[in-house]
Order: sequence, then structure tokens, then C-alpha cells
Amino acid sequence: MMWKFNSLRHRELPLSKDSSNLFLKIMISISVFLFAVTLAGVLSINSMLINWNSSILGSLTVQIIPSSNPDKQKAKDETILQEERAVNMLKAMPEALKVTSLNDEQLQKLLRPWLGDDVEIEDLPMPRLIDVRLKPGAEINFKVLAEKLANIAPLASLDNHKLWLNKLINFAAGLKMLALSVLLLVICVTSGAIFYTTQTSLGLHRDVIEILHLMGAKDTYIAQQYAARTAVLGLIGGVIGVVLAIPAIFLIAHLAGQIEGGIINEARLSFKAWAMILSLPLFSALVATQTAYYTVKRTLERMM
Amino acid sequence: MVGSKDKEAVIEMEKVGIRYGRGPEVLSNINLSLERGSFHFLTGKSGAGKTSLLSMMYLSQKPSRGRVSVFGNNVNFTNRNALAMFRRRIGVVFQDFRLLEHVSAFENVALPLRVCGMSEKEIKKRVNELLKWVEIDRSTSAITSTLSSGEKQRVAIARAVINRPDVLLADEPTGNVDNDIAPKLMKLFVELNKLGTTVVIATHNENLIRDFKYPCIHLKNHGLHIIEAGERGDDVEI
Repeated sequence: MMWKFNSLRHRELPLSKDSSNLFLKIMISISVFLFAVTLAGVLSINSMLINWNSSILGSLTVQIIPSSNPDKQKAKDETILQEERAVNMLKAMPEALKVTSLNDEQLQKLLRPWLGDDVEIEDLPMPRLIDVRLKPGAEINFKVLAEKLANIAPLASLDNHKLWLNKLINFAAGLKMLALSVLLLVICVTSGAIFYTTQTSLGLHRDVIEILHLMGAKDTYIAQQYAARTAVLGLIGGVIGVVLAIPAIFLIAHLAGQIEGGIINEARLSFKAWAMILSLPLFSALVATQTAYYTVKRTLERMM
Repeated sequence: MVGSKDKEAVIEMEKVGIRYGRGPEVLSNINLSLERGSFHFLTGKSGAGKTSLLSMMYLSQKPSRGRVSVFGNNVNFTNRNALAMFRRRIGVVFQDFRLLEHVSAFENVALPLRVCGMSEKEIKKRVNELLKWVEIDRSTSAITSTLSSGEKQRVAIARAVINRPDVLLADEPTGNVDNDIAPKLMKLFVELNKLGTTVVIATHNENLIRDFKYPCIHLKNHGLHIIEAGERGDDVEI
């Protein structure tokens, strides 16, 4: 689109008095509000997916089931022995970055939401947990690893989180697609509203447009006046929409943060995500401008 | 045909007919060639088709049949941008002025220059100069809808000539102005014509036709007849 800066100053078409201006401003504000909230959702889901994916690829847990020996002390010693063997084996793995055996205090912290503060963990037949962080890009054959573990520590079982996390990832990916569809729908509805209001305005100002044509104005001259007017409306509507969306995003984030388990806590918006949300008024102005410009060009082509 | 073949024709019509909807032809089999630098009056009774003929000349309408060429280009085969460029070379004074009522006289006169992309400094200079000449200088910033008919007509004339057009088409340009300013405006048209502008003035004003010895394009019975200066008999109704 060819832009002449001084064309923004020309106001032969009395577009500022169009009654549709208020409607467009409100329409764009609502669209940008919905867009911003949905975009925040998409970006949060995206960051969660990235975190979850790195969890799948970057860690595994080994569980040492408590020995069933009726002698409590012997059962405990047996369990700890197998834990030590498993830890030594895991540490020897070239793919392992960090191998941490969870102590009683850490285990108690994990169980607190279910069992409360008063439970003495030593009285319970608790499994021992070993958290293994893998080196970036490390590939592990879990079947072979499980067999090796079974040989040195028959009470050990391997969990790579894949099963339950895959279900979550699939659910989140579905949500993300749905949100992206909503974003597309918002753009289509807004463009449609701009298309019809611009066409109505062209009908209202037919006499002025005819005079402009008779004076030798090209369609672009007229289209630029519409584009300039719609850019302003898009910008104002966009700013209002974003200003309304920011507290809404914080409210949703606060509510999500209250969910136990820490899964949703990972859905924090990055600086880049906030920059995208804050630049939405420019995006809405651009969409509005392009829609108005091409609507005018296409409609005027039917005139002589 | 008007004019000889050795001079360049700025507007040519060949077997042109124009009708509105499914109605009868308002003009039939019009053959016309306007040479560069010619001056004609356009006459005929109300409804004879003067405005239709002018509208084809200023490229507001295409003919229902036949060929209209402007500056050597058949308008039926000319794209929109080229038509816009041709319109910039044609100044038009409309009978109903067709001014932008919501902007000032200055803005109206500046319009053809803005459309061409002229600098604001040059626009200001040329527009103020011309508005002074047509005696609108005291109300240049007044919104056009507040001006009198005579003032509007002078603004319309100023807008038509500001771009020093190759062709000037005027529909009753002196109809609403005072008797003392009408000759002044006619003098402007004559001076422009001397500079090479082709002028066509549609008028019912017998005094004007008598005082200025130019040929008439007379429309009658859907056709066109050329009456050379001094040949007009009393039987011709204008």
C-alpha cells in the first residue's frame, strides 16, 4: 500500500462525523479485549507445553518400593540398600546430570497435602524416591534401564512421567488450537464489521466521492482517507481493549495460581508475551487500516 | 465535425449515443471533434442533452454506444488511473456547483491541486491569488455552505481553473453571478483560451453568445448542429 504522509492531513471526506465511528470503536475494543485474553491463554499454554515437554525429556523418577520383610528394621535396611545401589548405578550413567535421593523431610513435604503435618513418616511403609535430571538432548532407552535396575535393585520401578504428562500435553495442545481458532474468529468478525461500516460510509459520502473523482482523485486518494480514519479508530479501540484486558489477565492468573499442584503455576507470561499483548493496539490499527483500504478500493472499482 | 483534421483533437465523439436505463436515447449519433485551443458555446433547450454531453466530456459517464476519445484515448479502453489523470486536465464548472459544502472555499479551490500532490506552500500561494481575483478573498475560510449562490459560483469557477486545465467545461457559469462580475469571468475564460485551453460553455444567455463571437454546438432533436459565429439566425432557440 502506497502511503503519502500528507494524505493523513486531508479531510475532504467528513468521516469523523460518521455515526458508525462509535460502533467501530466499541467493536474493536471488545475484539481486542477478547484477543488479548485469549492470546495470553495461548501463550501461557505454550509456555506450559514447553515446560512439560522438557520435563518428559529431561527427567525421570525411580521409586524403591518398601521391602515386605515383616521385620521393620530389616525391611528398612533392605530398602535403603537397594536405594544406594540404584543411586550409584544412576550416577554412573553418562546421560545423568544430577541424581538426588529424596530425604524424609522432602518426602513428608510431598505428602503433606494428603496426610497433614502430624504423620511420622518413619512409621509408614514409604517408598524411597530418586529424582534424576538428564543432560540436555540425552536419549535414554527406558526398557534397558528398567532391566538394569531390576537386576541390581529388584524393588526399584522406573517412571519417566510420560504416560500422565502426555495426556496433559494433548489436552493443552487441544486447548491451544481452540484458542487460536477464537483468535482467528475475532479477526474475521472485526474485519467483517469494518468492511460493512466502510461500505455504508461509502454510500453515505457518494456525492463527495464523485466530486473527488471528477477532480482527478485516484481511488488510492480516497482509500487513504478511509484508512487513516480507521487506523485512528483501531488504535483507540485497541488501547481501550488492552487496558481492560490487563487486569482480567492478572485476575485469571491469580485464580489459576490458587490451584494446588503447581501445574498451572508454570503458565507465567514472559516479557516477550507481554510485549505481544501490549502491541495489540498497533496490530488492531493495522488490521483495521488494511481492511478499510481494500474495501474502499474494491468498492470504488465498480464506479466509473 | 468541429475543426479541421490538421489540428489535434482533445475530445472526439463518433456515432455516440447515450440513454439512461431502458429509456430512449437522449443523444443519438453524435459526431464531434474539439480542437486544442477552440472555444464553443453549447446551446439547446432544457432537456436537449447539454449536461449529458458535458458529462461524457468530463468523463463522468461512458456512452451507451459509439466512441468517445479524450486526449487521443478511447475512454472505453482506458483504465481507472488513466481516467483520473485525464480528469486532472479537465476543469469543470457545474450548474449546481458541486462544491464540498462542509469545508472552506479555500479547501474547495485547493482540491484539484491536492489531488495532484502539489506542495502546501504552492497551493496556498496559488489558491489565495485566484480567490482574490474572483473576489472571495474575505471569506476564504468560511464554510462553503454559508456562502451566497454568487460566491459559490465564483468558488466553483476558481476550482475549475486553478489547475490551468487543457479543457474547461462550464455549465451556465455566469447564471448566478452579478452583472458586473459576469464579463470579468468571461474574460478569464477567454484569457485561458488564448493560452491554449479548449473551452466549452453551456449557456442560455443570449447576450453572452452575441457579445463573444464563438461558434455554437447546438443540440436539437437528440442531434448536434454546429453554428459558426455570426451565422446564428433568430429561429435557433437556446
